[in-house]
Amino acid sequence: MTVHAFHIFDRKGKTLFTKRYSSIVKNQPVQDAELLSEQRKLIFGMLFSLRELVGSLTPEGESPALHSVRTGAGTLHCYETISGLRMALYTNNNPNMGSNARNLDTSKTSFQNALKHIYSELWVDCVVRSPLYRPGDIQVDGNGNDVGRFDIRSTNFEKKLDAYLASMPWFR
Amino acid sequence: MGFLHLFIVNKSGGLILHRPLGQSAPRIGTNEWLRIGSTFHSLHAIAAEASPVKLPGNKNSAGADDGIEEIRGGGLILKCLQTRTGVKFVITAEPGTSDLDAVLREIYVLYSDCALKDPFYELEMPIRCELFTNAIDNLIEKVESGGFKTR
Repeated sequence: MTVHAFHIFDRKGKTLFTKRYSSIVKNQPVQDAELLSEQRKLIFGMLFSLRELVGSLTPEGESPALHSVRTGAGTLHCYETISGLRMALYTNNNPNMGSNARNLDTSKTSFQNALKHIYSELWVDCVVRSPLYRPGDIQVDGNGNDVGRFDIRSTNFEKKLDAYLASMPWFR
Repeated sequence: MGFLHLFIVNKSGGLILHRPLGQSAPRIGTNEWLRIGSTFHSLHAIAAEASPVKLPGNKNSAGADDGIEEIRGGGLILKCLQTRTGVKFVITAEPGTSDLDAVLREIYVLYSDCALKDPFYELEMPIRCELFTNAIDNLIEKVESGGFKTR
């Protein structure tokens, strides 16, 4: 199981954090900043519309939420907080949860739990509680570099995120 | 085992069939169905575009264009089978329903047996074929009573 990319979007679709993991850089040519930014907007729009779609198809009594979207090329896992913050994690399609891969359902929920952990323990602790942070300050340009008043690199969010993902049994 | 809905989208995104498959299926009006069909058609393609890795030629292992195969949400599983001709068979069900892939493939077989071999059926037009809808209902009944063996 490889992680390809990780994005965090706010309510309005602005990218708050984005990271591509090196496993795909070998196979794909370097894309320029414009293209990556367009791709992120596409991802946000897709998440937004998919949630509407799932909402209209879900039976009564169940709360609509989008957990994962699988295509032939990979799976997109998403987690949305009540404040509208959306986290999107791209992985490939083969769950490798140790020797027995029979527990398909638990592998799905563990992504939800992982993303929830990333939000509540890492994002809230490192970024939201940082004394320099003000909502709306973060802006990310095409290369994933922060512009604007608050720089995510002033927190250890990225380091902690990498450490957390590396500790997951499904990360390689 | 809770099947919810089946819908079929033609290669231009128009809806050619929608059918509730169980009692817990939410009631959705015809206009809303048309909207769902075309939205799904576009999102199916966008999902393949937005992915950081793409399959070679953007075709999956079945030779059809890559796109959404499965969506899992709270309280819902949606599975889609895209054929080489661009027709998409989409089924929704409650979580915990097994054999969705096999059921989808069987519905594809029923489509080619009942709708395509019907001499009056025009391709890409809405399917108005009692044989097809009866066969679908029988299939769902058979699966729910546990009598369905995957090929």
